[in-house]
Amino acid sequence: MNYKELNWIYLFISHIKRDILINSRSLFDIVSIFGFMLLIIILFPMGIGPIQEKLDIVSNAVLWIGLIIAIIPSLEKMIQRDYTNGWLDQIATSPIPLEIVLLAKSISHWIIVIIPLIITSPIFAILLGLEFNQIPWLILSMSIGGLSICFIGIIGAALILGARRGNVLLPVIILPLIIPILIFGVGVNESIKIGLSPLPNLFLLIAFSLIYLVISPFISAILIRIAISR
Amino acid sequence: MLNLKNLNIHRGSRIVFSGLNAEIKTSTLTLIKGKNGSGKSTLLRTIAGLTPIEGGEINQNGVNIFHAKEQWVRKLIFIDNKNGLSDELTVRENLLTWVKIKGWDTNKENLVLALESVGMQKYMNFYISQCSDGLKKRAALARLYFSFFNEVDFWLLDEPTNALDHSSYLLLQSLLSKFIKMKGSILIASHDKKSLIKDYDTLDIDKLRNVKTI
Repeated sequence: MNYKELNWIYLFISHIKRDILINSRSLFDIVSIFGFMLLIIILFPMGIGPIQEKLDIVSNAVLWIGLIIAIIPSLEKMIQRDYTNGWLDQIATSPIPLEIVLLAKSISHWIIVIIPLIITSPIFAILLGLEFNQIPWLILSMSIGGLSICFIGIIGAALILGARRGNVLLPVIILPLIIPILIFGVGVNESIKIGLSPLPNLFLLIAFSLIYLVISPFISAILIRIAISR
Repeated sequence: MLNLKNLNIHRGSRIVFSGLNAEIKTSTLTLIKGKNGSGKSTLLRTIAGLTPIEGGEINQNGVNIFHAKEQWVRKLIFIDNKNGLSDELTVRENLLTWVKIKGWDTNKENLVLALESVGMQKYMNFYISQCSDGLKKRAALARLYFSFFNEVDFWLLDEPTNALDHSSYLLLQSLLSKFIKMKGSILIASHDKKSLIKDYDTLDIDKLRNVKTI
């Protein structure tokens, strides 16, 4: 029998397009993520008080923690919807590997959720009084870090499929995995602040992202196969 | 010919089947009968490769289907109650993405023909969130039409007549008999007394079962 050879890259891109289309039709979710991050960034300086020096010490960490806390609630939705509506069953009964779909899902989540946050991050940086020369590095480190948070997030989201109160469980499961991202992400900007090269931290950040890139589709595919077999 | 040999199927800690033997003939409609909760859907999901088997094997013409799972899933269409439709996409977009992941040709004419075959051409640009249950079911059943341009051997349908009105029931009937004529095999899990088409086999799982549901 002659089977048409499947073009995985084509399928990968068309699945990214599908997910972006779905997310762009529920824009309220994305706006709420942005609003949530803005709230965190605004509340912090108010709690700290009007002393710039105090704020300087924590500003980088606040930005990163704001990013992480704002993204986490959205991670669950990455596959929850497709699980309940049966789309994952359709994927599993089609020749496209689940791993490709999951990789496409984390990348489309990065494009539709993290990129808008990163584009607006100069506003956040100004609100926290960051120096202008830090902003390009902030954008770079946040895009890489955000991508790895999506990779970790999809593992967590796959793990809690079908569990009750999964939204409470998810942060607990994935936060330990996010800690290295947080440390090196903040490290990039801290080293610029004290006049050192940001490259060592950046490379470590990239290294962690690559590790998560490699393991995340496989682990989450295993977890999803378990979830749909129930 | 599909042979189920000595199948053991568990769902969680519950044993659904143990030592199930059955035979499903080619180019026939086989109706899986059984009470609610007797494992009709589980059996279908197992044949579709979604629920793993704990023991035994399923052979198609003597070849274990799970040894070449990619080839097997290419040749089947599985539709259950969940339909697999995204609320945020339109009926047409849903069908299009589904055809893409199956790795089939997505030309416009086939898509329109498929939607016409279940009477959905009017609702092509409706969002699934705007559709009633019946329309959703029809949007899902539109996929079946693609078996006429591609190599498909099996339809696994779980309660396909749920929420369908009389006219779409007739459309589904004509799709089924057309597929049977093309030497396709259909497995339907249903508690419906009457069958969709005249000639059919039945697989009464209440009788075949060796272990009572715990």
